[in-house]
Amino acid sequence: MLRRSLLGAATLAWTLPRVSRAAAPDSLVFSWPSNAGPLDPHGYGPNQMYAQAMLYEPLVRYGASGTIEPCLATRWALDESGRAWTFTLRPGVRFSDGTAFDAAAAKANIDILLRHRERHGWLELMSRIEAAEAPDPATLRLRLDQPYDPALFDLSLVRPLRFASPAVLLPGGSVSAPIGTGPWRLAESRRGERDVFLRREDYWGEKPALRQVVVKVVGDANTRALALEAGEIDLVYGADQLDADTFRRFAADARFTTAISPPMATRMLAINSGRAATDDLAVRRAIQQGIDRDALARHVLQGTEPAATSLFAPGMSKAAPGLMTLPFDPMAAVTVLEQAGWQLPPGGRVRQKQGAVLALDLCFSGGDALQKALAEAIQSDLGRIGIAARLLGADAATLQARQRSGDFGLVFTETWGPPYDPHAFLGAMRAPSHADWQAQRGLPMKAAIDRRITALLAATNATAREADEQWVLTTLHEQAVYFPISFLTNKQVHRKGLGEVPFGGTFDEIPFHHIRRG
Amino acid sequence: MLAFALRRVLTLLPLLLLVSVVFFAMLRLGRGDPALDYLRLSQIPPTEAALALVRQQLGLDRSLPAQYLSWLADAVRLDFGTSWATQRPVLEDILQALPATLQLAGAAMALVLLLGLPLGLLAALYRDRWPDHLTRALAFLGVSLPNFWLGFLLVLLFSVQLGWLPAMGREGPASLILPAIATATVSLCVTLRLMRASVLGVLGERHLVFARARGLPERGVIARHVLPNALIPPLTTLGLHLGELLGGAMVVEMVFAWPGLGRYALLAIGNRDFPALQGFVLAMTAVFVLCNLLVDLAYAWLDPRIRLGAKAA
Repeated sequence: MLRRSLLGAATLAWTLPRVSRAAAPDSLVFSWPSNAGPLDPHGYGPNQMYAQAMLYEPLVRYGASGTIEPCLATRWALDESGRAWTFTLRPGVRFSDGTAFDAAAAKANIDILLRHRERHGWLELMSRIEAAEAPDPATLRLRLDQPYDPALFDLSLVRPLRFASPAVLLPGGSVSAPIGTGPWRLAESRRGERDVFLRREDYWGEKPALRQVVVKVVGDANTRALALEAGEIDLVYGADQLDADTFRRFAADARFTTAISPPMATRMLAINSGRAATDDLAVRRAIQQGIDRDALARHVLQGTEPAATSLFAPGMSKAAPGLMTLPFDPMAAVTVLEQAGWQLPPGGRVRQKQGAVLALDLCFSGGDALQKALAEAIQSDLGRIGIAARLLGADAATLQARQRSGDFGLVFTETWGPPYDPHAFLGAMRAPSHADWQAQRGLPMKAAIDRRITALLAATNATAREADEQWVLTTLHEQAVYFPISFLTNKQVHRKGLGEVPFGGTFDEIPFHHIRRG
Repeated sequence: MLAFALRRVLTLLPLLLLVSVVFFAMLRLGRGDPALDYLRLSQIPPTEAALALVRQQLGLDRSLPAQYLSWLADAVRLDFGTSWATQRPVLEDILQALPATLQLAGAAMALVLLLGLPLGLLAALYRDRWPDHLTRALAFLGVSLPNFWLGFLLVLLFSVQLGWLPAMGREGPASLILPAIATATVSLCVTLRLMRASVLGVLGERHLVFARARGLPERGVIARHVLPNALIPPLTTLGLHLGELLGGAMVVEMVFAWPGLGRYALLAIGNRDFPALQGFVLAMTAVFVLCNLLVDLAYAWLDPRIRLGAKAA
């Protein structure tokens, strides 16, 4: 009797229909590791940049082709002194609360930002802006204390130079509600569960094809992959939302479409020139040829990131087209080391020079399985040329502390991608709190590097700017303080029915407004 | 009984104080710079000026005892500070996430009670026959499976392959089923084995011979004489299982994107979000102690010797 009941229940269960979880035809279900946050256009964490970019718009936009395009400003001009930018604002733009976007609204936002300037000190333009003026409703003028050539790139960033309705700006610098001029508005936010964005029917530009984007909060990459397989989310998009193994599995599955964006930034090792044994230029040069980056890209990254060929991804810098990475050549690396006096002791496997052992610390994020795998492969390559790399996995805070204090031999780092590369990335090299400054601090020309970076950021003459950039990048290349590993890419996986999903021009913006079903 | 309950509740206060001191010290004496953590979580580049500002704003420039006393003074007013990751009051975050965790742990506990106890009874009554073999095999398998792995297997089968149940989220009763099973399995299997052993122990006692000799039907013997005695050992372990369920829920919540306190805590650990971690540990201490109190009360209610012993004392 009991056996019959169990069999009957099992048979009945097997015949149950599948639960239909098909999304509405004009709706997209996406996932992200956390909620969108309070969505303050001038705020940082926990505001999520993809969501800030959905609601808030800049004066000028960084286009997919790498050029600056009009957005809330239709025209712009720089005066002869290089210290005043004048923007002609787009007519007919309204915030989602109905307030008109005009020069007064833009000025109100910038005034708030300037009142809390210390929060945005990392961004060079925020240190340069003296005042915002609104001579008439259609004209916004930004006065700078000195010329700053990449101003338009800084203005195109997702934060902090975007605009909320003046009706929601609070004196403390935050906003009382997420009201922007963008094509989406936040309709619902359930903490830890989901955020829902609805298309704005009164948007000034081309309206999105989708009516609704639901963003479910999914912290675990495996859960995200299973949810995509089960049809509970439609799209996975981002640089590190799925691991390489899972991405390859979806690529081999006919039910899914996968795509990898063109190179956007560079994954690399910073090599500490201020600490033994990497204070020796010969050691840094040997590292350049002693690590097989093609093998790393093929076997560890599984083809999801191409091997890097330069410090910046193609198209990021016009000044350094000839500064290519050296090919893997362990014999050449050994020759460089031996010429510099680093010899293998009889029967030994680690080189020595005047009693000093050729050993270094390779620091990585302990919670990052990919960095760990890369570190192990690099350790093996370096071991073959007689360099002992000690692997030090650390939590994010400890790793950041090491980067700040220069307590590393090699450490994983990344360039920032468009629109930060190269100007903002180069600018940050002047701050001792960055791993880049620490990596470069042992270079005899470090002061000159910082001076030339400051000069190129302020240059009003394109030729002078490119000459400075060329000098800085050539010096960094010759001094071998970076080992570019691969070019970072955005990845996407979705079901076949979703139609084409284009890639955005930056890591931080997901082009939901260009996505359509079927 | 009331005095017993009040006494237990009052012991909670010094316990919470002790836990808060120990945990505060553990966090602060670890490596790393909390100001740096705060800036990292706020996604603000850590310039020297920004670090100095944060140290001043968060009071990190004061001595550790001064920081603790300041935190304690706020905590007694139920102000546990602001989470560095979510930028919201910790208490608000905890109160928002706690119901989901209690729902999951409660559903898991219900599974433990509703399946573990009857299956244990069934295994004992059918000793060495196929229901016994089957439940013992399942129990052995169940205690051997890590809950996160079981969770992924359940999703693969019931969500991806069969499409019967949601793979994640907290939307409707159906979404509770898989996470509750993944959370409950280990405790359920342990309870099943314990119940089986307990019933077998009681079945061998003499008073059952007299009960049967009095002509009581077998169902009556089991309901009135076997069950009440056999339930005591499994029930005493329920307090321990509560801790296991709440702890297990932490990992399971990540696997099923369940918006509970466990996921909040795991993110706080990963982020080194000190205010959130301190609030979480205090909240879980309180929940754990209160749930154990409920178990003790149930135990006292079930076993007259404890009630009478307490009265005599």
